[in-house]
Amino acid sequence: MSKDADIIVIGGGIIGSSVTWHLSKLGKKVLQIEREDLTRGAAGATDGVVGYHTKKPGAQMELAVQSIAMFEHLGEELGEDIEYGLRCGGMQPVEDQLQWDILSEIVEEQRKSGVDIRMISIEEAREIEPMLAPDLKGALYSPTGGKVNPIKLTMAFAKAAKRNGAEILTETEVTDLIMDGKTVKGVKTTKGDFYADAVVNACGAWAANIGKMAGLDIPIQPRKGQLIVTEPTGPFMDVTLQCARYNVVKFRPEAVTDQEALKMGNSLSIEQTENGGLIIGGTREFVGFDRENTLEAIETILRRAVRFFPALKDVCFIRCFAGLRPYTPDGLPLIGKVNGLEGFYMAAGHEGDGIALSPITGKLLAEQIVYGKESYSLKDFDPNRFALMKE
Amino acid sequence: MEDIIICRCQEVTRQEILDAIADGATTVDGVKRRTRAGMGLCQGKTCERLVAKIIAEQTGRPMAEILPPKSRIPVRPVKIGMIGGAEDE
Repeated sequence: MSKDADIIVIGGGIIGSSVTWHLSKLGKKVLQIEREDLTRGAAGATDGVVGYHTKKPGAQMELAVQSIAMFEHLGEELGEDIEYGLRCGGMQPVEDQLQWDILSEIVEEQRKSGVDIRMISIEEAREIEPMLAPDLKGALYSPTGGKVNPIKLTMAFAKAAKRNGAEILTETEVTDLIMDGKTVKGVKTTKGDFYADAVVNACGAWAANIGKMAGLDIPIQPRKGQLIVTEPTGPFMDVTLQCARYNVVKFRPEAVTDQEALKMGNSLSIEQTENGGLIIGGTREFVGFDRENTLEAIETILRRAVRFFPALKDVCFIRCFAGLRPYTPDGLPLIGKVNGLEGFYMAAGHEGDGIALSPITGKLLAEQIVYGKESYSLKDFDPNRFALMKE
Repeated sequence: MEDIIICRCQEVTRQEILDAIADGATTVDGVKRRTRAGMGLCQGKTCERLVAKIIAEQTGRPMAEILPPKSRIPVRPVKIGMIGGAEDE
């Protein structure tokens, strides 16, 4: 059987596109296959936080440090404008003593990765972001880290990969994997069969569907995040900002008592984009593959936005949207080869950290596929930490 | 002709839309994600049909087959205070 590519990457999102670009940089012939269009999934329905402050202490934070360092020259390397706001910083305002205590603890853990993160008073926070409400208690602040335009970044990965010879097929759905015993040989699609030496599953929230075709039970579930975008305004804020509840919901869900917050996992996440519009989020909801907006969620998100930034009440919002994040039980992505299957790799499960972790994920997985070993260990993200094989 | 503005809110020209189609966009949404056409204040109310027409003419497909983008809340700009205003006003 003649092969169509060295490697087939399934998924046209931020991770699949990064993996495709990195593989093409290493001289591989890559075929990227996407069911709809590039950025149609989570990559096109999110904000662009590239910060340290929202990362889980430990392995995920360490990986974020590696990834964020790559952002410094990423735009130049890709030859595209990705609207990377270098060192705009990240902030998490705190409402009460309990949140202050929880965040202080998380900060201590996060600092172990050598990142500049600290707790500051509300006075200091308002010197940095004057629009913040004065009756807040204080904030977690990380002066480094930035923000990016996630759609532009995904498209830039894809364009740069195409210049390196990669082929991208959109509106092409993978319907099955072509197997020879325990070896993956290629994919069956709505536009024919394609053969390659290796197949990468970068399908985000949909990754489990591809896993099923290989007889795998991948523990990734869709988790809906709803967001709101405003009309462009003048300079309003610089940092990417999440309310303290964001980290509490993410790392200490047991400490959340608000019933509404428990149900929707809602917390404020806000940033101003380069064109002046504010992106305001968000929720973390388990509602299957539903991608609709709900008035209930929009109302709670906007109430929190006004709570932290009272001046927002006079700004118009122009659109709501929702994306499906790939949730994993331990909050860490699955990156690497699947044991017991030849030629099958995972690059999915980043939940809300896919944008920030996309450069390093693509780089390390490409190294693992091409050289058999990555330059920075992926052991904490090894897909085989879960029992993937169905018996 | 190619430098005329198709999306006024985001100042997207016909040429930029042609480039997006050449890059693989086959729907109004695909053009939107590549150019920002339809992402502005009017959310595509003005340019949506123009974009669809350019896609139809470039791809040779009938207008009726060019998928419109998904409609989302709100229909027109709404002040945040109307929905997220302080307490139950």
